[in-house]
Amino acid sequence: MQYLPCGIYHEYYQQDHAWWQTRFVIGKMILLGIFIFYILPFWGGLYWVGVATLTIYTIMGALGVQLLIGYCGQVTLGHAAFIAVGAYTATLLTLQLHLPYLLSMFIGGLVAGLWSVLFGLPSAKVKGFYLIMTSLAAQFVTVDFILTQYVSQIGGRGQAFSLPPGSITIGPLVLDSDLKVYFLGAVLTILLTMGLANLLRSKVGRAWIAIRDNDIAAETMGINIITYKLMAFFVAGFIGGIAGAFWVSTLAALSPEHFQWFWSLWLVGVILIGGVGSIYGTIFGSLFMVLIMEGLKFIIIPLTPVYPALTMKFLFLKEATFGLAICLFLIYEPNGLAYRWWQIKNYFNLWPFSY
Amino acid sequence: MNLFIQVIITGILMGGIYALVALGWTLIYKCSGVLNLAMGELTLIGAYVCLTFYMWGFPFLLALLCTVIIGFILGLITERIFLDKLIGEPVLTVIMVTVGLSFFFRGIVEFLFGTDTVIFSPPVFPMKPIDIGGIIIGQVYLWSFFAAIALLLIFVAFFQFTRWGLAMQATADDEMAALSLGVSARFVYATAWGIAFIAAGVGGALLGNINGLNISVGYLGLLVLPAVVLGGLNSIPGAIVGGIIIGVLQNLSGAYLDRFTPGGVKEIAPFIFMVIILLYKPYGLWGWERIERV
Repeated sequence: MQYLPCGIYHEYYQQDHAWWQTRFVIGKMILLGIFIFYILPFWGGLYWVGVATLTIYTIMGALGVQLLIGYCGQVTLGHAAFIAVGAYTATLLTLQLHLPYLLSMFIGGLVAGLWSVLFGLPSAKVKGFYLIMTSLAAQFVTVDFILTQYVSQIGGRGQAFSLPPGSITIGPLVLDSDLKVYFLGAVLTILLTMGLANLLRSKVGRAWIAIRDNDIAAETMGINIITYKLMAFFVAGFIGGIAGAFWVSTLAALSPEHFQWFWSLWLVGVILIGGVGSIYGTIFGSLFMVLIMEGLKFIIIPLTPVYPALTMKFLFLKEATFGLAICLFLIYEPNGLAYRWWQIKNYFNLWPFSY
Repeated sequence: MNLFIQVIITGILMGGIYALVALGWTLIYKCSGVLNLAMGELTLIGAYVCLTFYMWGFPFLLALLCTVIIGFILGLITERIFLDKLIGEPVLTVIMVTVGLSFFFRGIVEFLFGTDTVIFSPPVFPMKPIDIGGIIIGQVYLWSFFAAIALLLIFVAFFQFTRWGLAMQATADDEMAALSLGVSARFVYATAWGIAFIAAGVGGALLGNINGLNISVGYLGLLVLPAVVLGGLNSIPGAIVGGIIIGVLQNLSGAYLDRFTPGGVKEIAPFIFMVIILLYKPYGLWGWERIERV
């Protein structure tokens, strides 16, 4: 729920349903678009483009987690498995069958969605902690067993699928520079975010929210909760698969190392810090986590001459910081960054009569 | 046939250690309703603390005692700083705080002790295996099992016969009634965490003796989750039986299924069993079935 500024009246339903309801918001969106597609890539320098690409990947991965946890109430701690399935499917199709990248990305999304539905099936019977356990099993079975032991054998490339430069192309365009990858990711993220946000305003999305709030009550209202839960798993897996397939384009070699349990937990941490049940929350959380980790680097680098072991142990510090950040956010800011943003925005929208 | 018995016995001996850690998990859940995903890291902390003391030249038993004391203190501190503020919060919040704690602990442990495998040297238990009628058992397994069982018995006695243990049982049974009888719930929560740290720490120290100590011991601690799901989340006998069954199943699948696959079955078999158990018996062997109303 968001308040409109004083003096804005809607006369038609189209106005009431519009994404961007005031000129001011449209202006902000245009500025944001200019920032994403012009200022950041062309003036920002390669370092910031790299950071932005990582953020984009985090956003795409976290969208699926946000859908499952924040909108459908199905807690998952194994989302990296579905991202991995998407990434591996897309890579295999591109390398073995020489399908176009975008097509194999789409198929990767579909396969990841179906895989996610497979592990979502227990949600018909169990929920809460028990469902968390199944998602945990999904993570270990998929990444640590099937992908590591079986899928990695396909094509005889050894443990990692190396992606020679120029193997990923969209039509005549070869995705060989960070900038092109960034643009692809930005477009995909915007499409997925808009798609998901729209889906959440439809009948399906409202059914998901009803299931999240109380699944028994939702069932008594005539929602087929099993179908809708599986649908949520499919969409979340699909988004995850697309994210994985996109991430392939930034890598030189694909291995199960990229999709460890850590990454699943990282994504859940992202949405918890950003705010559960909010698309903004996904984006803020991703930005926050990526930027805080980059900031940590800036703090550590000046300290390395004094204490050289820090460079070696940076990864561990990162882990500890991440854990501590989740704990502190959950204890002191349980609604996440999105809630803070909502408060700030409403303060200005309602100013000067904020009561 | 010999192989079969051998595998079963090794499984039971390993399962004793899992049972010990699972007991700590169940205790926290019963007393405070916290579903703890940081158990693996608690075993890690215990293992490294014990190793450090042992390397300083303490005898093993004394090192274990120090682990127990430090574990208890760490448990109290953790509960007071992080978990105390979360009483009455949604389940996901509490679970994710324990996940955050697990990252925090693992990061700290890796930062302090590195990631290389370290072993207890000189070895604590004699290396020569025991031969009982053709069945060969490593002494490490045997002694670890005895240690785990001894500690389990001590815990059971603690719950049955001491004032604190009875207070904890009362809180687990009905918190409101316990509060009205003058039991301090905050004290019980803190003690539960302290005891969980002890159980996990001793379990970790024993596991570290078997195969050497590195970060993957924390993964072994994660195996308590299948064990408690099998036993039923809030049943202490269930945790013990579940731990032993998971140990046996894990060893059996390692021995018999590994030849059909490229490898790695032993690590994930408990989780597959867990999914199957969840599908057919979601409340485990002795867990309470919950009836939900709108």
